Amino acid sequence: MTTLARLFGMLLLFAFAKAEAQWTRGANQGYFKLSAWFLEADQHYTSSGETDPNATRGQFNVNLYAEYGISDRWDVVAYVPFFSRTYQNDQVSGVTGNVITEGDEVNSIGDIDVGVRYGIIQKEKFVLAATLKLGLPTGESSGGVDGSYQTGDGEFNQLLELSAGTSFKIGTIPWYAKAYTGFNNRTDGFSDEFRVGAEVGSNMVPEKLWLAGRLNVVESLQNGDRNAQNSNGSIFANNIEYVSLGAEVNYNLSDRWGLSAAVDTAVSGRIVYAAPSYTAGVFFKL
Amino acid sequence: MSTRNLLLIPLLSLLLFACSGEDIVDDRIDETLVLTGTTSTLQVGSSFTFEARYLNNVGQEEPATVLWESSDDTVASINENGLVTALAAGNTQITATVLGNDLVVTDTASLNVVAGMVQDPMLIVKTGSIMTTSSYDLSGDYTIEEVENTPGVRLTFASNYVADTALPGLYLYLTNNPNSIAGAYNAGPVTTFNGAHSLDLSDVQINDYQYLLYWCDPFGVKVGQGTAN
Repeated sequence: MTTLARLFGMLLLFAFAKAEAQWTRGANQGYFKLSAWFLEADQHYTSSGETDPNATRGQFNVNLYAEYGISDRWDVVAYVPFFSRTYQNDQVSGVTGNVITEGDEVNSIGDIDVGVRYGIIQKEKFVLAATLKLGLPTGESSGGVDGSYQTGDGEFNQLLELSAGTSFKIGTIPWYAKAYTGFNNRTDGFSDEFRVGAEVGSNMVPEKLWLAGRLNVVESLQNGDRNAQNSNGSIFANNIEYVSLGAEVNYNLSDRWGLSAAVDTAVSGRIVYAAPSYTAGVFFKL
Repeated sequence: MSTRNLLLIPLLSLLLFACSGEDIVDDRIDETLVLTGTTSTLQVGSSFTFEARYLNNVGQEEPATVLWESSDDTVASINENGLVTALAAGNTQITATVLGNDLVVTDTASLNVVAGMVQDPMLIVKTGSIMTTSSYDLSGDYTIEEVENTPGVRLTFASNYVADTALPGLYLYLTNNPNSIAGAYNAGPVTTFNGAHSLDLSDVQINDYQYLLYWCDPFGVKVGQGTAN
């Protein structure tokens, strides 16, 4: 069985991990963010897009997101969830108080993403970049008593993105806007994915406080052959679709250090949690 | 604030929430009494012991004192242990009653008493329909029946049966509580998702369970149910 973890939230991680994600860093410049991410849900979007209840499941991870410029145009990027936890509540009879089904939990490393970004256009007001990100199946894909507790999907995927961004001012306040589109080639019978997204942010307090809002969309190409008929119980994370909205605040404590907090939630979807995820982190600029 | 303390902020702030707890399941159902050992015909002068099971408000069998009654004592009498004695040709209704925890529950069976020889009892066949209780597709007709010279029962699903293939970890249970898998019989993962097919369950008796329960094990949630009569 695979990827309950991915089903229930790993995709949303891309959302907050992508902040500032199309401006290349420049040679020997870096951005590192240590974050904790949390999601708990007692309902999910079904295959028909409606919401159904589920036993409360939670996911938590502590991750390091890093971007480092190896030249003026090339960055290396990595997302390392070095501690990932998934759990489910006990199911208790409302009449007798007896435990009907015991909960479970799995702790492990999650799926690691590594990649490179190339700055195609690097103008002062406009940037265009391409990113290739590889999703490594380093997480647990069949944990727990029934094999349904996962911190990874067990498949190797390749995500190619093209992103564009611009910066501007409204009055005296600096703003930026960016958008991306991408194709995620998934293996092991999982359907490929088409992704688009956009983000708008502003520097509300000069050099101190940044606020951002974002939209992320994942559409499945429905071309995978993994389903309950040929792999019962092993179809988590296949044909996931969602539209998510998010907000993030970043506060610079100094020139190098800062704090970050974000919330993202799927407002519609298929085979994905219907609950918000929260993240809090510390970032460092090299 | 030191760098180390700064780095602990994200870990501690959310780790506090990442602990498992309890979900309270609404598994209350009405108490029921089910006649499990019955016969529809007796020869005058013979006897037969009726049996009944009391299922409490979570569908679990619970010891209970059964009050037995025959609607026509001249046709057949019944004692406090459910032992029926056929006295004269005719028809009578055998009723079992239990004073449950919250309700008075009864079940009734019709009994014909005949003067001549009694044929071997017919094998029991129950028919029912499956319906979804979720947003996932699940429907179809089925029968559950005794199989001659074979222990257990056979579940036969009609050609109009369909189950959603998008749902991970769909399992079939037989249960007396359609809201819970506590005490249920696990018939295994669903492997056929459309069309006619059958399933033999060698360690289940025809009156053991009242419902089919389709349950998503990983989600821990009910998907649908079937009720046979």
